[in-house]
Amino acid sequence: MKSGEISLSRRSFLKVCGAAGAVAAVGGVSLTAGRDAVAAKNDDAYKMRTVRTVCSPNCTGACGMKATVVNDAIVTVSPAADYPAPEHNPRGCSKGAAMTNLIYGPDRLKKPMLQKGKPGEDKFEEVTWDEALNYAARELKRIMSQYGPESVGFFIQVAGTGYVHKGALIRLANLNGWSVQGGYDMNGDLPMHAPMTFGVQSEELESYQWPDGRYIMIFGSNILSTRTPDAQFLRQAQDNGAKIVVFDPNYCATAAKADEWFAIKNSTDAAVALGMVKVILEDKIYDADYIKTYTDLPILVRKDNNKRLLAQDVEGLSTPANIPNYRECYVVCDTRYNFIPVNPESLELPLNLLLEGEIPVKLKNGRTVNCKPAFQMLKESVQTYTPQEVEKISGMPAADLTRIAREIAATKPFHLIYGASNYQWYHGDLKGRALALLPVLTGNLGYEGGGMSTLAGQYKVRFPLAAWWVPTEEIDGFKPPGNKAYAFEYMVHGPTETMTCPKLSHGIKAWIMLCGNPFDQHNLNNKLKQQVEDGTLELVINLDFQKTTSSLYSNVLLPGVSWYEKTELTATPLHPYIQLMQQVVKPIGECRPELWIFRELAKRLDPVQEKYFFPYQDAEAAAEEAIKLILEKDPSGIVKGITLDQLRQGPVKMNNNCPGGKKIPFYDQIQLRKPFPPQSYPEAIARTAQFLKSGRIQFYRDEDAFIKVGEQLPVHKPPFEDTVYRLNSKAKTLYPYAYLTRNSIHRIHSTHSNNLVFRELQDDSAKVWMNPEDAEAKGLADGDDVRVFNDQGEVRGALVVDLGLQRGTVVFEQGWWSRYTGGTSYNTLIYPFINPTHEVYFVPQMWSPNTNWNEAVCDVEKVVKK
Amino acid sequence: MRYGMVIDLDRCIGCQTCMVSCHIHNSQAPGVWWNRVFTQGGLTHQNAVINSKDEYRMDYLPVSCQMCDKPSCQSVCPTGATYTDENGVVLVDYKRCIGCRFCMTACPYNVRQFNWQDAKKAKKEYGYEYGYPFDVKDGKKEKRLVYTQHRRSGVVEKCTFCIQYTKDNARPACVQACTANARFFGDLDKSNSEASAHMKGKKIVRQLLADKGTKPKVFYVSSKETALKEVKE
Repeated sequence: MKSGEISLSRRSFLKVCGAAGAVAAVGGVSLTAGRDAVAAKNDDAYKMRTVRTVCSPNCTGACGMKATVVNDAIVTVSPAADYPAPEHNPRGCSKGAAMTNLIYGPDRLKKPMLQKGKPGEDKFEEVTWDEALNYAARELKRIMSQYGPESVGFFIQVAGTGYVHKGALIRLANLNGWSVQGGYDMNGDLPMHAPMTFGVQSEELESYQWPDGRYIMIFGSNILSTRTPDAQFLRQAQDNGAKIVVFDPNYCATAAKADEWFAIKNSTDAAVALGMVKVILEDKIYDADYIKTYTDLPILVRKDNNKRLLAQDVEGLSTPANIPNYRECYVVCDTRYNFIPVNPESLELPLNLLLEGEIPVKLKNGRTVNCKPAFQMLKESVQTYTPQEVEKISGMPAADLTRIAREIAATKPFHLIYGASNYQWYHGDLKGRALALLPVLTGNLGYEGGGMSTLAGQYKVRFPLAAWWVPTEEIDGFKPPGNKAYAFEYMVHGPTETMTCPKLSHGIKAWIMLCGNPFDQHNLNNKLKQQVEDGTLELVINLDFQKTTSSLYSNVLLPGVSWYEKTELTATPLHPYIQLMQQVVKPIGECRPELWIFRELAKRLDPVQEKYFFPYQDAEAAAEEAIKLILEKDPSGIVKGITLDQLRQGPVKMNNNCPGGKKIPFYDQIQLRKPFPPQSYPEAIARTAQFLKSGRIQFYRDEDAFIKVGEQLPVHKPPFEDTVYRLNSKAKTLYPYAYLTRNSIHRIHSTHSNNLVFRELQDDSAKVWMNPEDAEAKGLADGDDVRVFNDQGEVRGALVVDLGLQRGTVVFEQGWWSRYTGGTSYNTLIYPFINPTHEVYFVPQMWSPNTNWNEAVCDVEKVVKK
Repeated sequence: MRYGMVIDLDRCIGCQTCMVSCHIHNSQAPGVWWNRVFTQGGLTHQNAVINSKDEYRMDYLPVSCQMCDKPSCQSVCPTGATYTDENGVVLVDYKRCIGCRFCMTACPYNVRQFNWQDAKKAKKEYGYEYGYPFDVKDGKKEKRLVYTQHRRSGVVEKCTFCIQYTKDNARPACVQACTANARFFGDLDKSNSEASAHMKGKKIVRQLLADKGTKPKVFYVSSKETALKEVKE
């Protein structure tokens, strides 16, 4: 069917313009664009207008939506489906479609409020903006002078979803010397294998490049349920002839569409990966030249101390000049037994390097030490992972393991997708490091359609934002001090003996939450609640547009706006477009865009600070100024030439230097031979390059913390042994089930937990999943009200028996607010173990303590109604 | 012109975006769903089932009005409220419907919903008004009220292929919203319409309960035999 052009009479067209005039001045109004444009007839037309904006919660999907507005209220939203490359159309999901329930629904905050009850009580007094902001500023000033400015902590969630308004809080923090807690730290879903192996925060193919792959392995990512707008690219890959193999303990929606599914046991992915590595090494089906050029595997490791051999220690060798102090110069050996210093700033080495063997090396101090290339050590360390042994550990059939290993080595491009279900374990880093070997040994990383994508915690920003986030200019004698960083984990579960994060003398005393619900969503929510109750946290400020569980533990509620009520800039990792969020309707009630709120707070902290926030402009105009600043001052060239006017017309693809225009992770390193790592914004390269002192992909880690636990090379370590069983030796018998929390199609983390549309679709109850045999053994039946518990706490839900669930596992759906789960959060069951290898460097959001959301055990019992 | 819809079960990911979009765009009151997405054989959506070959399966089935060429609902309607428009779309005139629910008994697909409540009042639970807000009348015949935001209590309602949009040559909300591109809408009489084109070359092209003789204009396509396969008890 062909779509028709919308015909509006001149009279009604003028009326449309008139009605939409206020918005047209700042954003685009389109009634005629697109195949699915709709006009109501005659008089209805002028009552209705459509605005293109971006739905931008913490799924980071950043889907272009068109909202239809009647009488200044949004009545419907639909995908804009206007991406220039048609394969992206349409983007969206059920949550986006039902967004109006959060904008106008019963939990919408409409006025500033002050807590008048005890922490956790819903006793708030509506106040004016002046009262709320004056109170907040007065308390912040008191705490800053009493404990130092760094005792004010704050977090922003997912900066990529809103560069301007989330950036406004970072800007304010930089003016006041506050302590930032980044999203990756806050949520503990930094994929630690990424900094350990590739020196980056995380990297991934944009989803439209999945169809370029010919072999796709998925570990721990249920894309079909958690990345709805990107899911169709998996299907497109299959249409192109790609094979999709899913490794997941449970039969999930993604497993159902895969060509093959392997139900490996919980947290045994490293064993599976290392078993495949053994096959690849033994069959010699690896890419030796690739390994020699881009990895640390040819570098010699000393047998006496497990450290890499330094050129400066070897007789006759010296370190090349001009090596940055965050690098080291190591040594490789060629087939004629010449020792060659490795320049970490260059990937040019001869290809006649030894990968195997044991070589005596004479040191400058006169001693001789035996050394082995890291490759040789890897080969030795994977010896135990025979197909039979891996089958015993993981349940993956031995013959399949060998077959799949050979298939990936024979098929290019091979792409490995790695999700949070996999790495949010105490030994999650080991799994990622082991899996990373597969695309690297086979020479797939850095090429179109190949490599490794980490799909979680997509908080990263796409280009440098210092122009807006980090004010440096001196105004009226005021010099911005910059911010500090303090990991969230330490705020509630620290300090630890091994931490490298600078300690705070008084800890965090005031806490500003922006767009987050940690009082449900963090495993330390009970400790957080305790800190509010006992006064450790003297002030909690919550800026949100919903009254969440976290609101109830806050002293001040500052009502912000949804993504339909402000002007904002978004660019997130999984698709290549930068987009403008346009104000569809005026803020509801007395709500205000965040930039306005932080400007007002800045003014009250110190009048000069207001000048950093475009003081004479209204909130929308100020946001536009910030967008212009961000676009014009981008030093990377990623948004070079992109203007605000252009963004008003629709999404614009960001620039990259890859031929064909598809952004390929590590393209510069692999194809242009620049040293690893690429920059992870917003950190400077010096801060992350220290992770890879060799300038190469590092599978071998020789820091003491790794040597101490025998993790120089990736190994498989079973779940719970180093954690919950150590905490309570009886846990193994008391709590026989692994307790997993997974995302649902009905929520985006805890957003939409209260959406009435989805509550109806879930019979208004949280669900607990078990295998039918496990349920039967416990005398439980489908629909029973059950209590799931361990030493840390308990949570309630309705039982669902599911044939696709692995035995010995209880699954709870993440995101439910505690008011729906018996008054406690499902996260209270999770203990915040901190892995010392995650503390070796402290660079916020880049190398930082990680939360092991899945490292928990539990028992289940029926709730007996009294 | 014969409007029809094609649903590609290979592509459907069970996300229920079509279902929620339909609910909002057509201003359905809580408890009313014109379009539902099921997991075939599963009691809980997205639960695994085991088929007759002992294989794990998770196949979905989106179900809304099948827009039959021989609609059993229409033939039993005592007032002529249910009728077929010139595009082959089965509609309900909310003015004529007397709520006798013969149509609901006659429909083998269980897609008709009785509006037992004051819709406007029920939607107040949500705290706001949503959905397409204007009346749509079928002007070709005696001004039948085929869409209105708040259907009065005591009428039977169902999918209209989004008459409020298709009248302007736009596609139904579920088709616009389907991010898996699993839904196709168009004129079945034209071989190059999106709907007709997507059926070409498909191994499986099925209508629901074809043996009932209702001749649905909603077609389910797949390249696999497993689509719409019986599941093991």
